[in-house]
Amino acid sequence: MEKGEDEVNQGAILSPRREDFFLEGERELTMTVFGSQRNFSTVLNSFCCILAPRLPGSNSQGCRRFIQLRTVTENFLICLKTAFFFFSLFTLYSLFLTNASADNAPERIISLAPSTTEILFALGLGEKIVGVTSFCDYPVEAREKAKIGGMSNPSLEAVLSLQPDIVVMTTDGNPKEFEARLRSLNIRTYVFTARRIRELPVAIRDMGRVLGAEEPSRMLSAEIEKAISRLGNNRPSDSRKKKVLFIVWPEPLIVAGPGTAIDDALDLLGVENIAGNAKTAYPKYSIEEVLYQSPDVIFIGKGMQANMREVSRGLLHKLGLVPAVKNGSVFFVSDSLYRLGPRIIKGIEELETCLK
Amino acid sequence: MSSAYNPAILELGNVSFSYTQGSHVIKDLSFSVSSGAFIGLLGANGSGKSTILKLSSGILKPASGTVTLWAKNMYSFKHKDRAKLICYLPQTLDITVPFRIQELVSMGLYPYDVPPAMAVDEALELVGLRDKAQAYLVDLSGGERRRVFIAMTLVQGAGLLLLDEPLANLDIKFQFELISLLKHLQEERNISVVMALHDINMALKFEKIMLIKNGSILGFGSPEEVLTESEIRNAFDITVTIRQHPEGKAYVYYE
Amino acid sequence: MPKIKIALLIALLFSVCILALFLGPRGINPLDLSDIDRTIVFSIRLPRVLISLLMGMALGASGAVLQGILRNPLADPYILGISSGASLFAAFGIIMGFSFIGTFTIPALAFTGAILTGVIVGIIGRKKGGIWPERLLLAGVGLSFLFSALLMLMLSLSSDEGLRRSVLWIFGDLSLSEWSRIPYGSVFILAGLLLAMTRAKALNALILGDELAHSLGFSPHTERLVLFVSVGLMTAASVSLGGMIGFIGLLVPHIIRFFMGADSKVLIPAAALGGGVLLCVADLISRSVLPPMELPAGIVTAIIGSPYFLYLLRRKNVLSI
Repeated sequence: MEKGEDEVNQGAILSPRREDFFLEGERELTMTVFGSQRNFSTVLNSFCCILAPRLPGSNSQGCRRFIQLRTVTENFLICLKTAFFFFSLFTLYSLFLTNASADNAPERIISLAPSTTEILFALGLGEKIVGVTSFCDYPVEAREKAKIGGMSNPSLEAVLSLQPDIVVMTTDGNPKEFEARLRSLNIRTYVFTARRIRELPVAIRDMGRVLGAEEPSRMLSAEIEKAISRLGNNRPSDSRKKKVLFIVWPEPLIVAGPGTAIDDALDLLGVENIAGNAKTAYPKYSIEEVLYQSPDVIFIGKGMQANMREVSRGLLHKLGLVPAVKNGSVFFVSDSLYRLGPRIIKGIEELETCLK
Repeated sequence: MSSAYNPAILELGNVSFSYTQGSHVIKDLSFSVSSGAFIGLLGANGSGKSTILKLSSGILKPASGTVTLWAKNMYSFKHKDRAKLICYLPQTLDITVPFRIQELVSMGLYPYDVPPAMAVDEALELVGLRDKAQAYLVDLSGGERRRVFIAMTLVQGAGLLLLDEPLANLDIKFQFELISLLKHLQEERNISVVMALHDINMALKFEKIMLIKNGSILGFGSPEEVLTESEIRNAFDITVTIRQHPEGKAYVYYE
Repeated sequence: MPKIKIALLIALLFSVCILALFLGPRGINPLDLSDIDRTIVFSIRLPRVLISLLMGMALGASGAVLQGILRNPLADPYILGISSGASLFAAFGIIMGFSFIGTFTIPALAFTGAILTGVIVGIIGRKKGGIWPERLLLAGVGLSFLFSALLMLMLSLSSDEGLRRSVLWIFGDLSLSEWSRIPYGSVFILAGLLLAMTRAKALNALILGDELAHSLGFSPHTERLVLFVSVGLMTAASVSLGGMIGFIGLLVPHIIRFFMGADSKVLIPAAALGGGVLLCVADLISRSVLPPMELPAGIVTAIIGSPYFLYLLRRKNVLSI
């Protein structure tokens, strides 16, 4: 339940009561909104940055970020084309990032997502955290912090009363309006935009710079990059790719689909996620289809929880004919990969051990 | 009041009833209905006409007193057996569910395990609705709707019909049609009718009139006896003159 | 004539069942079954088809009965709060992590909650020795608001795994179908259905109003109680089998009235068959349109059912409401 996405694809859930219901589509939606004049000027600003990448006066984080990504192909034409392509994306970036600057390191931090909370602790900023969401339960110290509500419905008053120097948010579960609201109250915000494993190192470095933890962030990023490149080198050849299914919840059957950190991890491990071609990130999957696809390995997330084996029994019984079940390749794993944070490496290694 | 030749089929003895504690709607009411009677229940709004009919049909139970049907306690009957003897039609028949006439009239058979004498077709014929058997109730006029339920009671075969304001909301033409249909049934099949009504002039055409005020009987007898100028003033709180029509019939002239 | 139509409905039901068994995200050739095909047909599709039939029948029939006893065309089996009672109990069980009778725990709790709610609604709806439709309706609506609020409270207080499981259960669907649930489900649903069908005449009479029902030789309050019990049994069993499925209980009875009239003797079995057919088809669609994903069947019932209902409302000049 830490990640809002889990429930998103349950079409029946119509009421956005809790973080669970925060729609992933909101991100796409916000990108295409160019309502106010202010938004438009920031878009123009970003656009200028692309045209003149080394413009000395540019202080937009979004631009810097973009330039970093693009250093290999600093080609004017490509920049122009990409500018149009990323036109909408940039609105969001610049909107979110203009208020964040590295000028002075914040002393009082509020984290509005479990994943950023974990990163902040990993960067050694745990002492500076003054508030977290009620879903932030890792590491254990996070549970001691003041709670400011959920991810999709944080309490503005709770945030204000904690007098933060900066509020760390994510595009993956926090409402964009809340960020706008905070900025209108002159509260600094930092928006963590990574949603894939490969985006994580850069995003962590960026966050470290803004929050005054450059050195730890560089180390953490390097660690993640090292893990990624190690796996990239050890990938088995495509011909003997194992078929894998990662089950998030067995009844009804919810699995990790495309665009999730789990899907990225499976890809890095050189195995095929059979739900990788589904239409949404956490689809409710057809049991029949699992039988047909017959995965070689099945992972069941949050398997350390007491009742998970109990709950999975019925499903595994139905899947009796699948190689994974026949050969005993069903693994109950932790939830390390559920959050795009420092535990990702541990999560990947966990899967790797199982796959060997 | 019941004649020696005609036994009483319904008898209310010292019946009292109240909807709420304390205030009696019906006080110490006694009367009997003999076989083949055709009785009009007349009284101002709230005088207790409907309550009397509901007490007579067993829908309401009196607080005190007795209700006897064919010399037996009304409440000792099984529901189905009672339904074969007595039938009550409420004033409002607001049925919006699309029942067909045929289906509705057949519901008169519900009290019977073995179908009784009169067939559904025959009853429809009698009320003149045979060609509308497959029509929907909602498509019929007010007069026709009344006749559908009369047909239902015929199929039900009850000898006593208790009708609550069947003439309300009907055109004068339908009113006369309905009255003559009921008269016809009374004569042909010896069916007794007790009917609540409003129109004093219509009441003059009845054999017997029961005039009600505040839950008690002011008068029970032929219209000439009961509907005097003073009694009408007493019951309805209006001043009327009873005049003689040139052809001999009396009529009430409202001032 | 109604007999022919009922026979046609039964034939339709059988053909839909056969289709639902062999069609799906991937078609299966019944003459050439592989091991996997056999597992899919017998362990996955067959229980699912049977449960969809049972639930559809329960919802269709109880909708027809409830609209009659409440004399309200907008009544549906969930209006009496039975489903919110079931949801509340199921969610409580899930969040507390109860499992005293294994996988049956949650359906059993849901069933208990549903029946208990039914009894409370019945008690509140009772006055002067009888159950009154308006009281029943308002008691149901009031209680379901209370239960929904309690459910929300419980869900907002639980920030762990239980929340997700509860939500999934409440909007549950037929992918949870298992053979083990069929015996108890069918016992309660068929019992309720039979009870309703034997009281069809009384239901007709109740539709005419209490006074006419009395005049036709029925005790309105007793009959209403009996029919209410049958609705309670069917709805409770259906909710505990697979959560809440909208549309069927409300609109299937109306659609059947369009074609087969309002006579409850025909309406109750026909609405049951119609509900079964609709849910079976809806479930077939919901698991076939977007493979390998599955949609909740309740959405499909409403999407295919509502436009058809509106079309009928325009076409047919019979007013059912």
